[in-house]
Amino acid sequence: MFSFIVRRFLHLVPTFVGATLLAFLISQLVPGDFFTSMALNPDVRPETVQRMRTSFGLDQPIHIQYVRWMTNLVQGDLGLSFDSNQPVSNLIKRPIQNSMILVVLSILMLWAMAVPLGVYSAVRQYSLGDQVVSTISYFGLAIPNFFFMLVLILVLFYLRSFTREVFGFNEMLFPVAKMTSNNYGDLSAWGRSWDVMWHAALPAFVVATSGIAGFTRVLRAQMLEYLDSDFIRTARAKGLAQRSVTYKHALRPAIIPFVAGIGALLPSLIGGAGLVEIVYAWPGITPILLASIGRQDIYVVLGFLVVSTLLLIIGNLISDLLLAVVDPRIRFS
Amino acid sequence: MADAPRTPIAAQAPPQAAGERISKSQGRIVWEQFRRHKVALAGGGILVVMYLMAVFAGFLAPYDMNEYSRTPSFAFHPPTPLHWTDPETGRLTRPFVYPSEGARDPVTFQQVWTQDIDADPVPVEFFVRRPERPYRILGLFETDLRLFGVQEPARIFLWGTNNLGKDVFSRVMFGGQVSLTIGVLAVWVSLILGLLFGGLAGFYGGLVDDFFMRLIEVIDAIPQLFLLIVLATLLRDPRNPIAQSFGLEMNSAQIFLMIVVVLGFIGWGGLARTVRSLVLSIREMDYAQAAKALGAGESRILWRHLLPATSSYVIVALTLAIPGFILVETGLSFIGLGPSELDSASWGMLLRDATSKGLALQFAPWLLIPGIPIFLAVLSWNLVGDGLRDALDPRKRR
Repeated sequence: MFSFIVRRFLHLVPTFVGATLLAFLISQLVPGDFFTSMALNPDVRPETVQRMRTSFGLDQPIHIQYVRWMTNLVQGDLGLSFDSNQPVSNLIKRPIQNSMILVVLSILMLWAMAVPLGVYSAVRQYSLGDQVVSTISYFGLAIPNFFFMLVLILVLFYLRSFTREVFGFNEMLFPVAKMTSNNYGDLSAWGRSWDVMWHAALPAFVVATSGIAGFTRVLRAQMLEYLDSDFIRTARAKGLAQRSVTYKHALRPAIIPFVAGIGALLPSLIGGAGLVEIVYAWPGITPILLASIGRQDIYVVLGFLVVSTLLLIIGNLISDLLLAVVDPRIRFS
Repeated sequence: MADAPRTPIAAQAPPQAAGERISKSQGRIVWEQFRRHKVALAGGGILVVMYLMAVFAGFLAPYDMNEYSRTPSFAFHPPTPLHWTDPETGRLTRPFVYPSEGARDPVTFQQVWTQDIDADPVPVEFFVRRPERPYRILGLFETDLRLFGVQEPARIFLWGTNNLGKDVFSRVMFGGQVSLTIGVLAVWVSLILGLLFGGLAGFYGGLVDDFFMRLIEVIDAIPQLFLLIVLATLLRDPRNPIAQSFGLEMNSAQIFLMIVVVLGFIGWGGLARTVRSLVLSIREMDYAQAAKALGAGESRILWRHLLPATSSYVIVALTLAIPGFILVETGLSFIGLGPSELDSASWGMLLRDATSKGLALQFAPWLLIPGIPIFLAVLSWNLVGDGLRDALDPRKRR
């Protein structure tokens, strides 16, 4: 097991190095650098700009800059932000944590919604419910995340004016923006995490909807294939209950590709969460990435790229391991 | 049929009827299969209508994409109600509107627009000419004929206006020109890159294969949205080295092309991978071996024998990639990284207006309308892609 993980990890090193190299090269597409605007400012002496460039190593050729940056990266140092003069790792920690809350919650929601839907539409193939499920999943496939989020926000506003007129209840059912309430500081630890979850519920749901379509469709096809197979007939013949046949015998092999797919799901979810984060003003990666790229704060941008790449690679690794745990046909060797 | 007299085959198809039994071409079989797929057919119909609307956007739209007036500004004007019945007699009449009247909301001090019912009704005219606002169809035919319009100073805003008083209906019509074409163009970039690199990797194997597969892995390892954001931000700056080496001054057409290339660049990996594995397996098939034995050159085998065999898969993959590209483009436009906002509109860009002024959608919900065509286009492309997949799959013939 341990040697499997190590070998799998070593295999990922070239990919990671390649990805960082690509990211670094792309970052060099920026015209000028962070100090270009400073150099145009007559109040700043050219020597000052030159000194700052030297102190950040921007006067060196590109390959030296890359080697330096990479050496620091290996030692866990992502460099300094030009803008705030703080270590990049401090700046990007919170946004990445916040994005992860959203993504993990939406993966949980995705599974909680898609597994029952997929099983149902396979067991009741061609029924009305099956058709409703497939219609809903097309809907989730086609609606852009940020648009769906905007629509839900509008619905919440309408709901509020409805409840205000009918029940005199002038509160939002769900928050429409941000990660925490205004009184977040006064809450207990339990209250705080509940507050964050309450804020995350709606955007996580929106992110999850885009994945439901593919998930239910493939799960349905997989379930249909297994429900038709010999061992299911045997299970029925020996008198097992329908529930046990469906969930213990058919669902277990059918779910295997999805366990393997968690890693592949991550990038699309991180991407899908990005625009929702912007609409919802969720303090995640994307809003801050956009701001720092606008300021040409290159090391912060690179920091986000590197860490999210690393998370993605680790996600793939975890889903490989999970697959080996779930699928008895796969053994570490 | 069991009791039908057994007749020899020759008797069933007499010689004179032989001409009627034309064997069907591949395209015909696929079309017949596709036609049975009612939902996919409906999707195709919606797409045809939408693309026609994009072509004739100037004719359908009463106003220009960026047309607005300073005084009165008509900012956040709600959709103009159309009236069909005569106010005095109550009888059905030709459609008319009332001029708009601006006022301030006493509580919020928001500018609100209401229809001035005391004023004279303004009839909606059809096939009006607006010589001061000519437009071109497909960039070729210049004309000033519009499907409908009203005499100024009255205005007709079927779907309201945005924060600058620009007509949402007209902008949705023009927005289709960008949002509907960008995906189709990006697919071609993906197709060329995917076929070329996937084909090469599968055909030559060895180092070439390793190189391209590692390259795809590397591109895949960076989260797509972030790569897109970074590329779209950096490349739209006219001073960057790539743009300069081509001697470009980025104008809006070039930004459009840049977005197309970036989207295609992000999307080719999956296609290349599948083309590679298909080519790997087809390469060993008898007909490919036969071509080799006959002395066909490598490029001939690759282009004439191997790649065409992947075509049905590729067609489906591309059709299903288009809606993905449309979604990505609208997303990029939504955060302001899409095509230039100066002289083009895209549906994502229009949705951006719903978040202006805090959250404009609270008091101007009509700004969400541009999301509906996005939804319809993506849905229809998906339906058509699914229909094509079933039609091209011999195992699913009905």
